[in-house]
Amino acid sequence: MATPALSVEQQIKLLEDARTLVLNDANYYQQILQGILPIIDPVGRAEPQRSEAGKVELRRWGADFLAETFASPSVQAQQKETLCLIILEMLKTMIENPSEDNAVIKSVVQTAASIYPLVFRWIINNSYDTSTWERMQAIKTRILRIWDTAAAGVRMCCIKFAQRVVLAQTVGPDADPRRGDPMEVNLGMVPLNHPLLTPRNLEAEASGLLDRMLSIFQESISDAVLVDATLNSLSILIRTRPQVANRILNVILNFNPLKQANSPMTPKLRVMVKSMEKTTRLLLVDVNKRDPQNPLAGRIQQYVERMMRSRNEIFDEASRKRGPPEPTNGLDAAKRQKLGGPVPAPVPKFHVPPLAPGPHTIAQLFTVTTDEGLKAFDVSLLNEDLVVKIGISILQKLNADTLKQAVGGIRQRYDSLKAVQLEVLNPATAPLGIEEDDDEYEPDFYGAEDTEQILNKLDSAPSIVEKVIEAPDMAPTSFVLPPPPAMTTEEVAQIGQGTVTRVFGVMQTLEEPAKKTKAGLNRLAASSCDRDDWITIITRLATRSVAGLEELDGNIKPEVNSVVPASLSNTIRESLHLYVLEDFRKRIDIAVAWLCEEWYNDKVQMKLGEEAVLHYERWVVKVLDGILPYLDGRDKVLTRFLSEIPSLSLEVLGRVKALCRDPAMVNLALTSLLYLVMMRPPVREVALDAVEDIWDTYDDAKPIAAKYLTKWRPGFAERLKEGGEEKKTNGVAVPV
Amino acid sequence: MAQIQSKGANGTAPGGQRTDEGGFKLKFCTVCASNNNRSMESHLRLAAANYPVISFGTGSLVRLPGPSITQPNVYQFNKTSYDSMYKELDAKDHRLYTANGILNMLGRNRDVKWGPERWQDWRVGVPRLEHAKDQGSQGVEGGVVDVVITCEERCWDAVVDDLFNRGSPLNRPVHVINVDIKDNHEEALVGGRGILDLADSLNKAAAEERNLSPTAFDSGHTASRANFDERVPEIIGEWQERWPSLPAVWTLAWF
Repeated sequence: MATPALSVEQQIKLLEDARTLVLNDANYYQQILQGILPIIDPVGRAEPQRSEAGKVELRRWGADFLAETFASPSVQAQQKETLCLIILEMLKTMIENPSEDNAVIKSVVQTAASIYPLVFRWIINNSYDTSTWERMQAIKTRILRIWDTAAAGVRMCCIKFAQRVVLAQTVGPDADPRRGDPMEVNLGMVPLNHPLLTPRNLEAEASGLLDRMLSIFQESISDAVLVDATLNSLSILIRTRPQVANRILNVILNFNPLKQANSPMTPKLRVMVKSMEKTTRLLLVDVNKRDPQNPLAGRIQQYVERMMRSRNEIFDEASRKRGPPEPTNGLDAAKRQKLGGPVPAPVPKFHVPPLAPGPHTIAQLFTVTTDEGLKAFDVSLLNEDLVVKIGISILQKLNADTLKQAVGGIRQRYDSLKAVQLEVLNPATAPLGIEEDDDEYEPDFYGAEDTEQILNKLDSAPSIVEKVIEAPDMAPTSFVLPPPPAMTTEEVAQIGQGTVTRVFGVMQTLEEPAKKTKAGLNRLAASSCDRDDWITIITRLATRSVAGLEELDGNIKPEVNSVVPASLSNTIRESLHLYVLEDFRKRIDIAVAWLCEEWYNDKVQMKLGEEAVLHYERWVVKVLDGILPYLDGRDKVLTRFLSEIPSLSLEVLGRVKALCRDPAMVNLALTSLLYLVMMRPPVREVALDAVEDIWDTYDDAKPIAAKYLTKWRPGFAERLKEGGEEKKTNGVAVPV
Repeated sequence: MAQIQSKGANGTAPGGQRTDEGGFKLKFCTVCASNNNRSMESHLRLAAANYPVISFGTGSLVRLPGPSITQPNVYQFNKTSYDSMYKELDAKDHRLYTANGILNMLGRNRDVKWGPERWQDWRVGVPRLEHAKDQGSQGVEGGVVDVVITCEERCWDAVVDDLFNRGSPLNRPVHVINVDIKDNHEEALVGGRGILDLADSLNKAAAEERNLSPTAFDSGHTASRANFDERVPEIIGEWQERWPSLPAVWTLAWF
């Protein structure tokens, strides 16, 4: 017999290297898969001389790799859709081989479950591909045939496969790509006139498969592996396919996982019954948690509670095992009696109640009576002689055992106090879990869970109830949450800044209103939650919130260039300023709205008191300074800005004048000023002064400036003529 | 205090390192609340026995005991390394955290892997190649396991519930077994031994199934007797007899 070129171990080592490559980078799957398929070929064409066991090893590896590949969340669904087409034939060969290895079959069925929806989707969109659909149908038929006869490991995977088929072949929620999985596959996506897929037949098949899945709950003897496998795969069906949810739940509610719990129970049966009961309960609890309003909620609740009770009855003695062994400290009267040879006359049991948790006085430690009246009696009131007499006569009559019991009781009290301290000190047994972790664990959601927890605690509690060992002084006293530490101004400013940033975030996400509706004068500001409203809110927050509370530097009213205190308002202003400049052409209306608010607020402040801090002027100049360097010769934005802001100062006009230093901007500057001259009579004179200044200063601007001045400034033409003659002598021609 | 510490948990116990005999290995995952004490003790034990193993916590945060019961030390999952916790607590109060065994525990953990991971954030099936330095990482590169062992019933509940929520997209079966262990160093040691025994028993059965001569199969009939998945309840039942103080619960769930 010829030895194969590579031993199985070597071959698998190479395959593992290839696997590492694709695990690192999913993009290689196409190539690697193509290369691997011949090696793991079920017919073993690549190495016909290899031993049967070696071939099985390779097929196991291959099937496992396929299952992993098509389950992997790091491979895109679209990529899987193309990849799955090339492996169908191999899957079909493997699963149709009656003597195929179980592990291989198990992986093949898993792979089939993963690719079924992908192939289904492919066929929906590529109705010509009959051969692919036939292969998939053949695989499905074979899986459904071995479902009842295969080994349990394979059968549970058949159940999962059926679940996938049901999921694909029932109508799901409307395919909305914005919500949920873009690769969601369901019956609703199949067009009615599809040549290969007939929705009615597919739905009937799914319905039959679901019935077959659920039939496991009606069998008289349940195999826990299969019951659990079914229960654990039903959750997604109940959740995403509401039309079958009730059918599933009704079957489960008629299922009794404890029916096999008749004595005597083998350890195996105990594990199985417990498992089915717990899994059923968890699934139902999850259904109710997800949708407390579901029509079956009441029945589910009853079922869960009933299961809890039956389970506790059945496993009662089992759970008792958990209690720590009884203390054998030799003080237990019952045990001592057994040990002593001749049985003495029964001694009345003397009970010393254990100490309650918390600090105690010495007197409390030695007080053994439970009579409240006696406890209150102060012995020190008695005469010393009398006490001695009483003491002696009692000791004479007292039964020695009773005394021993009393002493023992006191000793136990001592021990328990000591134990409290010891427990704190033992690192090996000190509890590590800080059991406050209730965030996602909702014990009070379900009465049932609560009961269970209590039972669990009781199970693990010491069986002798009297022995109370508690950490000292843990009783809840009236607890007042201390007020949070005072925040510093900086912190406040920081948090304020955070809020402001968020508002700007909101503004940026809100679309610009498609068309503005005129709301009229009597409208309420900021009442429709669009972007404009947020702007109104933020500008008013900036201008009005702390107006009048600001400190003045000395007594200078309009503080122009002094350092601005970092108040909330100024932070907002700064943010607004930046926001406007980010896209000033679109946001110029925001700038105007904001500056109007500033101007208005300045006026109000001035009316209220002399010593107001004024902001308008400062921010107009700042905004203008921000815009000017980026202006384009044809921008209308400057004209608009200048004409819309509520007041114009010489400083603003100065900036506009300065614009003319750039010959390309002359026209823009002058047009803007002309607009002011024409449309805003109150500033006409000031604007004309500016134009004249420009005429005076910038040679490039002279022709246009002169034209405007001639038109708007009476007497300018004459002056120009006079000047013109002078200038002509200088050789500069000025056309009028 | 010193003598208690010497008896105390982790580093001092011999690692129980086994020589690797190769062969088939089930992949394990251990889970507790904070991925610090119980799950890490058993993670180390299973790794030392050459099993592929990863571990997680199901809590919302990593909580370690602090100076009092109301002042736990709280850390973020996946963001804080065992090493940084060690250094922080060592600097905070060396005596206290030595005496309660926390430093000892963290010292052990930082040799096992980088930091605590949260179960709910685990993306099942995403390759874990970047965890190559973790102990027990060999064999779990694919990011899936065959058996999940939780150390507390509510962790088991959290795991099963979380698997419901994920909707079982991978179609891969997983045995989820709870082994109830009290959360202290001493019990974690005992529990770790119990879990290793359970892992050995399960792996033995799984390996037996795979070693059967393939020609013996006749599509299930004779094979079903030796099927691993089917034998799991029996194996757990037998194990429970050996470990009556560690009550177990089991289910077969899906990734």
